[in-house]
Amino acid sequence: MSRGFRLASEFVAAIIVGAGLGLLVDYFLPTRPWGLIALVLLGFAAGVLNVIRATAEMNAESAVPKDTPALPDDEDE
Amino acid sequence: MSEKPIEPIHQFQIHEYFSLGTFGGDGTPGSGIHLAFTNSALFMLLTVGAIGLYLIWSTNARAIIPGKAQLLSEMLYEFIHGMVKTTAGHEAMKFFPLVFSLFMFILVANMFGMFPYFFTVTSHLIVTVAMALIVFLTVVIYGFMKNGPKFLKLFVPSGVPIYILPLVTIIEVISFLSRPISHSLRLFGNILAGHIVLKVFGGMVVALLSAGAWGIAAVLPFGMAVALTGLEFLVAGLQAFVFAVLTCVYLHDAIHPGH
Repeated sequence: MSRGFRLASEFVAAIIVGAGLGLLVDYFLPTRPWGLIALVLLGFAAGVLNVIRATAEMNAESAVPKDTPALPDDEDE
Repeated sequence: MSEKPIEPIHQFQIHEYFSLGTFGGDGTPGSGIHLAFTNSALFMLLTVGAIGLYLIWSTNARAIIPGKAQLLSEMLYEFIHGMVKTTAGHEAMKFFPLVFSLFMFILVANMFGMFPYFFTVTSHLIVTVAMALIVFLTVVIYGFMKNGPKFLKLFVPSGVPIYILPLVTIIEVISFLSRPISHSLRLFGNILAGHIVLKVFGGMVVALLSAGAWGIAAVLPFGMAVALTGLEFLVAGLQAFVFAVLTCVYLHDAIHPGH
């Protein structure tokens, strides 16, 4: 559950930031509504990027370390 | 049915114990900054006090062969020490006090929240946002102090064709700005949702018990509440751990910008 929550929050946060930046751009420049539209889409892309990075991190954590032997050696004991 | 309706949100209400006065403003209600000692402040104080007293008391003996209390303190220290070293690198050890303080505060605040009738400090967004902003500002300020303008390389990944570089840079900036939001939202959301669900199941038990013959069915939500209590202890520890790990990951970016 915590993994799912982490991915969801990473994704949503990027879209929130994108929308916020879009509203800010439209507030100061006469580009309404195109700034919001473009930056929400970019926020979506950033969210996907966040999720990919978070998943890669999780995979790296759970992967088998490289220096573990392929088979346990009984003879060392 | 019971006269008092069951309110799952009621447990998060802030009560004022005593006022410290209003600063600024023109005297009309709602203007200026009103400072007060609330139940949230009380539990923050209790959390910090409990951590400080425990760590001082348990390490006071400085035994070479530690007792149980000293062993727990040393294990907590070693745990965060290893985390900072492996995740953020050796250079990040100067931020060990920050990471350790954040971890201990969140852990103990979450565990305090598991006592009945206790207030959960981390179930308020303002508290988690403040902690996430401390980390975010540390990363930005230290990153610029140490690397100068090279810190901006964080936003320009290498090996990207020049014609899509502006687009990628904007996406990277949004991704970087979204960090404090996801950082704080995750802790807040987990604790808030857990406590509400516990309360709802507890309320179901009461409602079913007061409904006559249907009282026998109260066993089901009661079992869920017991199971969720165990899960909440797991979440309390896990979220403190996740917050600390992500702090280390972000500090790593401040020290080694560029992927």
